Amino acid sequence: MTTVKNRELRLGTIIGWDGSAKQLIEQSAYDERSVRKHGGCKGAGQGCRLCELQSPLNQETMCSNAIVQCQIGNLTDCVLINHAPIGCSSEDAKFNLTMHMGLARRGKPQQNTLNMSTNLQEKDMVFGGSAKLRDAIRIANERYNPKAIFIAMACATAITGEDIDSIAEELEPEVGVPVIPLHCEGFRSKHWSTGFDVAFHGVLRQIVEKHPTRKQKDLINIIALWGTDWFTDLLRPLGLRVNYLLDCASYEEIRQASEAVATTTFCETLGGYMGAALEDQFGVPQIDAPQPYGIKGTDAWLRAIAKVTGKEKEVEEFIESEHKRITTKLEEYREYFKGKYGMVLTGSAYAHGLISVLAELGIKNEAALVFHHDPIYDGAGKNQDTLKELVETYGDIPHYTVSKTRAFQLPQLLKRAKTDFLIIRHPGLASVAGHLGVPTLALGDEHIPVGYDGILRMAEILKGVLARTKFNKTLQRHVRLPYNDWWFSQDDPFKLTNDKSVFEDIEKRLK
Amino acid sequence: MTEKKKKYSVISDVRYACAVGATNTVVAIKGAVPIANCSPGCQLKTTAMLTFENAFQGSVAAGGGNMPSANATENDVVFGGIKTLDELIKSTLKVYEGDLFVVLTGCVGELIGDNVPDLVSRYQRAGFPLVYANTAGFKGNNLYGHEVVVNAIIDQFVGDYDGEKKKGLINLWFETPYYNHNWRGDYQELTRILRGAGLEVNVLFGPENPGVEAWKKIPQAQFNLVVSPWVGVKNAEHLQKKYNQPFLHIPEIPVGEEATAKFIRQVVEFAGIDKEQSEAFIHKEAEIYYYYLEHFSEFFAEYWYGMPSEFVVTADAAYALAYSKFLADQIGLIPKKVIITDNTPDKFRPAISEYFRDNISEGVSIDVVFEEDGYKVEKLIEEVEFTAGKPLILGSSWELTLADKKGALFFEITTPSSETLVINRSHIGYKGALQFLERVYSASVGGK
Repeated sequence: MTTVKNRELRLGTIIGWDGSAKQLIEQSAYDERSVRKHGGCKGAGQGCRLCELQSPLNQETMCSNAIVQCQIGNLTDCVLINHAPIGCSSEDAKFNLTMHMGLARRGKPQQNTLNMSTNLQEKDMVFGGSAKLRDAIRIANERYNPKAIFIAMACATAITGEDIDSIAEELEPEVGVPVIPLHCEGFRSKHWSTGFDVAFHGVLRQIVEKHPTRKQKDLINIIALWGTDWFTDLLRPLGLRVNYLLDCASYEEIRQASEAVATTTFCETLGGYMGAALEDQFGVPQIDAPQPYGIKGTDAWLRAIAKVTGKEKEVEEFIESEHKRITTKLEEYREYFKGKYGMVLTGSAYAHGLISVLAELGIKNEAALVFHHDPIYDGAGKNQDTLKELVETYGDIPHYTVSKTRAFQLPQLLKRAKTDFLIIRHPGLASVAGHLGVPTLALGDEHIPVGYDGILRMAEILKGVLARTKFNKTLQRHVRLPYNDWWFSQDDPFKLTNDKSVFEDIEKRLK
Repeated sequence: MTEKKKKYSVISDVRYACAVGATNTVVAIKGAVPIANCSPGCQLKTTAMLTFENAFQGSVAAGGGNMPSANATENDVVFGGIKTLDELIKSTLKVYEGDLFVVLTGCVGELIGDNVPDLVSRYQRAGFPLVYANTAGFKGNNLYGHEVVVNAIIDQFVGDYDGEKKKGLINLWFETPYYNHNWRGDYQELTRILRGAGLEVNVLFGPENPGVEAWKKIPQAQFNLVVSPWVGVKNAEHLQKKYNQPFLHIPEIPVGEEATAKFIRQVVEFAGIDKEQSEAFIHKEAEIYYYYLEHFSEFFAEYWYGMPSEFVVTADAAYALAYSKFLADQIGLIPKKVIITDNTPDKFRPAISEYFRDNISEGVSIDVVFEEDGYKVEKLIEEVEFTAGKPLILGSSWELTLADKKGALFFEITTPSSETLVINRSHIGYKGALQFLERVYSASVGGK
């Protein structure tokens, strides 16, 4: 199978929900789903479907094709061909910048991304674009001499029925490197994170060594994006080397994933599929632990890794010395942030990690917004229920909203919960939220909050963010968002969903 | 159409967005709200290209993250997306402040054959200021989309007119909003110049656009002024047919005093208005311009640590022409290669090539190359043999690593640009030309 089942079908992912974090934990029934997943039942995630709020108004957002570009498009020695009209490639320049940043953070030499578009025209929609795709594969091979060639499906080519699987198979012997089809058309899944799974699925099928002849006992896979190499600081004391996947990775780094001793990640949303597949297919265990955020989380995560790698003694010494090392600084920061409120708006598992870090700093979280909620992850480990871990350790979040990048809801979200700043990932929201008088942190280097030092790094950054309130207050005084007074006067972010009578005036005019 | 002859090939390192990126054309009109009838991802990608990775110019109002988007799902593809679009339109009208709403349909809607015109006309009949445009990504790039959206607004929002034309009132059709990262500043400088010359300028996009009332005023103008090698000509031709409104097409965006004075005289001549004010304006602006240029000439003469002599430009047709001409004709830099990357329609190419050959400067002729594929652009620049010291490369961020390799001075003048931040900047006209010199020679000074 070259395709991956969408997250909404595999995991029961939703993109609209509003309530308290505790309620969502209850409704998600993680433990039951986990049991079912481990019971060998292939229909995991089915059954108790979560109630989902549909929104008639949606806004600029991301898609799975973009996610594939940001993953596969940032490999150092493989080409990504977007089999699509040119617009689907228009984020390439951004991923090129991201790759430059990532390479610099990892100490790798600078290079541009290896990208290509088949640049389909109207007549290709009628007569098909297969010939162009064949050309593109050959040209990609000549131009870049890549270790593998990936083909990304797009909305247009999925609708016209381009057979990228057959063409990949047909051309592979000719070009002599893996040609890997990726079914990541934008309309396919309601959430972009399916794109992660599609990317991982492609490399698992055609790059990861299927018959590893050796085990690299000191190599640990970190499913990551472009973050700075802070995992080494955490894992070197245990004698481990990191293998970051996929961004900025080379073919060889992906190939050796099956030789590693274990797999872990900074975010279960991202890493779940790859971690579970490496465990199921190659016996590389995934770390069944809370994510490495906050003190308790990092402790537990390190201990779980130590258990798998036989470093139980070393880890206790390391944990103790780390606790001691950060105590004074941490106390200072807790004093500094006393009485402050924060709000996190990111993908789901990562949000749970970030909120933990804020809580460690003594910052209160009355509300949070996640772009999707997965009631279970592919790993489904007993200790991987990130939302439950968060609430049990740091308390409930009264306003916990699931909503996929709907900027128009920000006035209501900020109205009902106190906050001094917002932490946001994914483009589009920070610039809007910035109009509401609150400073925003677009957290680009996702590894900043990881581990013990991550708490301190976040504290330092947040000091600067809070100072920027001045800018946002100026903006708030003089610039207005494009929504009308009626909308600003509403309290429910899901008013358009929950009260259909609001459309009566328009409908009356249309009759 | 000669366009049909063109063979479209693969593209690496893309330098434009697709037609549905013309949502940004709508954003450039005050009080207008784009409604993106496309897939999730489409608008984020075009925004990445046009407003973010383009000197981080940003967006306003209903642009960027505020933009309504249908975010088509599998369900829409299988069963049709009209219901989703209808709900989107309704909720946009409910929640947004707006005087004009424009539905832009992308690949999905057009391929599955949703009847958007039928849906939109229901709203039009009920008096909602709603317009639709077919902007599927496979039909063309964002420049193509821009022209489609402009004609759609003219036909469905501005409507019919058979009243008087006002002498001296001109509609300014200039660059595609959000495409060149200086567009806002350039619109202001060009507007300032035309107003200074005594013309009443109807500004349709950007910081000086008063709102949709400017669009309603279009038919009253004496003529349409198109300042671009090709973008906007289609709109001017449409207006000529629709309102019997003549147009003046000036391919060259004026940069520097001499080019701008010539430009003003050409427009004033066409308008047939009194020349006293324009000549006085030209005189006054020239005095200021050369006051500064004389100061600059000290650096130009005395700086003995070296400065560039040869240059390469890779950009869209409009700015490739404007900047090449200024550098070659007014400063005396040697053009080594000029590459146009905006997929200029075939019918305009011969005239543009000819312009580069015959109208750059006395004794200077440029063989311009049209190429959109970044891989080939890079090869073309790579093979240039620079023979006069440190070269100057003006291009996009795709050329950054190549410029490093060539040991060239480099800065970004076209999309994508990730090494530049622009708020309010212009490199055209009088003021902009001096800013352009500042930028070129700031790159030269110091220990670079």
